[in-house]
Amino acid sequence: MKISYNWLKEYAYFYLSPEELADKLTNAGLVVADIKPVEDDYCLEVEVTSNRPDCLGIIGITREVIAAVGGELRIPDTDFETLSTKVTKFIDVTVEDPVLCPHYTARVVRHVTVRPSPEWMQKKLRCIGIRPVNNIVDITNYVMMETGQPIHAFDLDKISDQKIVVRRALDGEMIVAINGVKRALFHDMLVIADSKRPVAIAGVMGGKETEVSDSTRNILLECALFEPGHVRRTSKELGVFTDSSYRFERGTDPGGIERASKRAVKLMKELADGEIVSGVIDIKQREYEKKRIPLRIERLQKILGIEIKRDIASDILKRLQFTIVNEIDNFIDVVVPSFRGDIYREIDLIEEIARIYGYNNIPAKTSICVRGSIKSKYEVVEDCIRQFFIGLGFYEVKTFSIVDISPLQSVKLWSEQDALDIANPLRQEESRMRTSLLPSLINAKRYNVNHGNESIKIFEIARVYLAGDKLPHEKTCLSLLIDADFFTLKGIIESLVLHLGISLKREWISFSEPKLFRDERAAKIQLDDKTLGYLGEASRELGFKTSFCLSELDMDFLAEKSNFEKRYHPLSLYPPVFRDLAIIVDEEVLWTSIEKCITATHISFLKGIHFFDVYRGKQIPAGKKSVAFNLCFQAEDRTLKSEEVETAEWTILDVLHTTLDAELRKL
Amino acid sequence: MLKKTEKVKRDLQEEIRAVTTLKDAEQLKIKYLGRKGIIQDFMKLIPALPAEQRAEFGQQINALKAEAANFIEEAIGKLSREAIPKVNNEIFDITLPGKLPLTGKKHPLTQTIDDVKEVFARLGFDVVYGPEVELEYYNFEALNIPADHPSRTDFDTFYIKNDILLRSQTSTVQIRVMEKQKPPIRIIAPGKVYRPDTVDARHSFMFHQVEGLLVDEGVSFADLKEVLNQFIKTYFGKDVRMRFRPSFFPFTEPSAEVDISCSLCSGKGCSVCSYSGWVEILGAGMVDPHVFKAVHYDTEKYTGFAFGMGVERITMLKHGISDIRLFYENDIRFLSQF
Repeated sequence: MKISYNWLKEYAYFYLSPEELADKLTNAGLVVADIKPVEDDYCLEVEVTSNRPDCLGIIGITREVIAAVGGELRIPDTDFETLSTKVTKFIDVTVEDPVLCPHYTARVVRHVTVRPSPEWMQKKLRCIGIRPVNNIVDITNYVMMETGQPIHAFDLDKISDQKIVVRRALDGEMIVAINGVKRALFHDMLVIADSKRPVAIAGVMGGKETEVSDSTRNILLECALFEPGHVRRTSKELGVFTDSSYRFERGTDPGGIERASKRAVKLMKELADGEIVSGVIDIKQREYEKKRIPLRIERLQKILGIEIKRDIASDILKRLQFTIVNEIDNFIDVVVPSFRGDIYREIDLIEEIARIYGYNNIPAKTSICVRGSIKSKYEVVEDCIRQFFIGLGFYEVKTFSIVDISPLQSVKLWSEQDALDIANPLRQEESRMRTSLLPSLINAKRYNVNHGNESIKIFEIARVYLAGDKLPHEKTCLSLLIDADFFTLKGIIESLVLHLGISLKREWISFSEPKLFRDERAAKIQLDDKTLGYLGEASRELGFKTSFCLSELDMDFLAEKSNFEKRYHPLSLYPPVFRDLAIIVDEEVLWTSIEKCITATHISFLKGIHFFDVYRGKQIPAGKKSVAFNLCFQAEDRTLKSEEVETAEWTILDVLHTTLDAELRKL
Repeated sequence: MLKKTEKVKRDLQEEIRAVTTLKDAEQLKIKYLGRKGIIQDFMKLIPALPAEQRAEFGQQINALKAEAANFIEEAIGKLSREAIPKVNNEIFDITLPGKLPLTGKKHPLTQTIDDVKEVFARLGFDVVYGPEVELEYYNFEALNIPADHPSRTDFDTFYIKNDILLRSQTSTVQIRVMEKQKPPIRIIAPGKVYRPDTVDARHSFMFHQVEGLLVDEGVSFADLKEVLNQFIKTYFGKDVRMRFRPSFFPFTEPSAEVDISCSLCSGKGCSVCSYSGWVEILGAGMVDPHVFKAVHYDTEKYTGFAFGMGVERITMLKHGISDIRLFYENDIRFLSQF
């Protein structure tokens, strides 16, 4: 809301510079975002919160200034002489929908001369960014900016049959709005119509056919109250947002209609030589009842945490133009002025008192009790994982959870269901809730390659969104991208799992998702027969020059299975014995089979099996490979004899031979 | 005799001063302390002395010997530290750069969230999370934002279906926690929120917030001020001033916006604070009775306060970052600065 400094000063005496005024308003909750000098005036851009439509008029802002600095409000008087003819002679009004239009008034001004408005008025309007049109239109704008009450002037002679009907639109009825755009209306919209057609969209915009022009002689002035929610819906549906709809949808002052209407016709008499017809058409649903709220001082003090005395509280309320009906002991009985529709509860009064008393005059002090708080297991695991990856040289990234609908984004790692789409996206590039973080990491990689950061290691912890019953299942994932080979990343994941104290059985199963992974170089990781995640070399189709690897893990599952309980195991007092073995097996024999064979021997003092090399080449027959590993033997209770170790070795080789046809490689 | 030993000591000190190489120092060691050295020569004189002087003289010689050894060792130590060791005539260049292990970094937004969590953890706040895809009820109605209410304008929202949306603020978590739990409550809820804003230097359709909520008997606005004061002083520094301005949020009453003095210009006014000297960092207020009613809390018995802050915003302020898009581009050159 733009206000003029000079204009404001007409309604109250105060000695504040524009900057001081801005400061006072800001501290009372009306943020002044900008002060601009305009001609010999200043334009203040005031941010009015949506609960304060009373401040969408300059008088309303003046009330706030007075509440803050004191003084008297000076409102222009609205007395005028009228013709003896009655308004009912010129116009007949019917309100068919009193719910959407609880109060409608109309006045008539005859024989106006339409011409430019006087310079003082034009200047003020220009200051607040309103283009002067002619005296009549300017007056309606001027009064709206002064009072916050939108009003509309019709060319009375263009109203068919001197009839106004406030009714629902008929489906498909048309109106040409003031801006010249033809619009189709629907039954859920309220219109102001004459006997033939709509002449205005209630509370939103007038029609072109009945607007005031240079040849207009007689004016019908509408000043009414429309149901805020309805105006808001209509204006949204039509995509038409006006100064008028802005005010109506926030709620105008039910007690301010008469004054605004009188003020406007009086100005028309003064500035357009109009003659005001006697009386007013005034159709009201019911008399407006002012709200009465009891305020407990004790409650006020409890909420604010400060000893505000009753007389201070009631003084503040009076300055805000509330009426104090009664004050006893610890109670104030308050009547709320009609323009403060936002105040209807005790707590609302408490806020008003705090606001004017000054938030910054309330001390900051607390006696909240001591309370221990501990990290949830998930928090601990998340921190632990972050530190783990940072230590390994990974950078954490954050990418958008709303993605495009490219094939890459439709990978289904975690669920067969379709992804969730946004019903009202801003752009196609952000219209789907992601089901994997990997495409975003690939994009981050691409961005970095394009900006000269060739080799990167990145990770992200974020949610993916999988269709669920009512709300989707939001699974937290840990995703990794590294410029390294498959086994480097596999090793990192193995190491992470151990680091989190997870000793459950892990299995690596071949997996195919050609959009993400290179065929035959991807695995699904099972933990305790449940999917922990996926790992693979990035697909060549992604169009990168170098190969890199990707992995996505179920973070919730990792957190659930993590175990930070540490139990001490006594250290063996006896030396370990290491033995290196190399065996020749068929190409098809996987390491996991070799490992299982060795474990199946159940040698009690076999403490570890460590793979270290695969060799294919000269001394190895075609279709075969040499697999080398190291065995660690150690007993808890004695030094192993070399015969024991030898026997164990032979047992192992024997089993490998019978099961996998493995031969010991002679070196 | 004493004069003689004193002289030897002086001679030695002079000679040491003149020594420049390790080799010369080794020569000096032989000259004084060797088997045929000067000090050994003195020893040979002992038997010729009268019996009563022998012990005393012996002590003097030993003292001299110890001192001389000290001087020479010190000189040798000093020279060998200065000496450049040579291996087959190669020079060991200790000024070559070390081998840096590459470490990663937490994303700056995570760092902020962690810092905020840390401050509030010490004040007894637990961390909780809530869904990002939410029922309309939790995002609006329960938070006292009815349909067709102008305050909805402040909360434009992405929708998935009729009554399912992407939360536009973390306040949804307040309701979810209070539905399940009776007071006292002390939580913070960090997380992503979504608003259909076109992306530019200051806007993003996805960003992060941290919500806070404290509910108990006798909680007041003064408590809120002090808790936020503690947070601001801890997070932004103890010289930072704070200012509360009345504002409006449907879910708090009284509501406030909290500004801190601009750290860039220390309140004098600059482009960051749009020349006001203040920057807004969070919204806060006393929990609105309507919100308590939605979760069936006794509004006479319990009061509480809530606050919410934008993570990107305070991170940008803290580090002087001028473009919000940098957070989501994930350029390593950016990430490595924090």
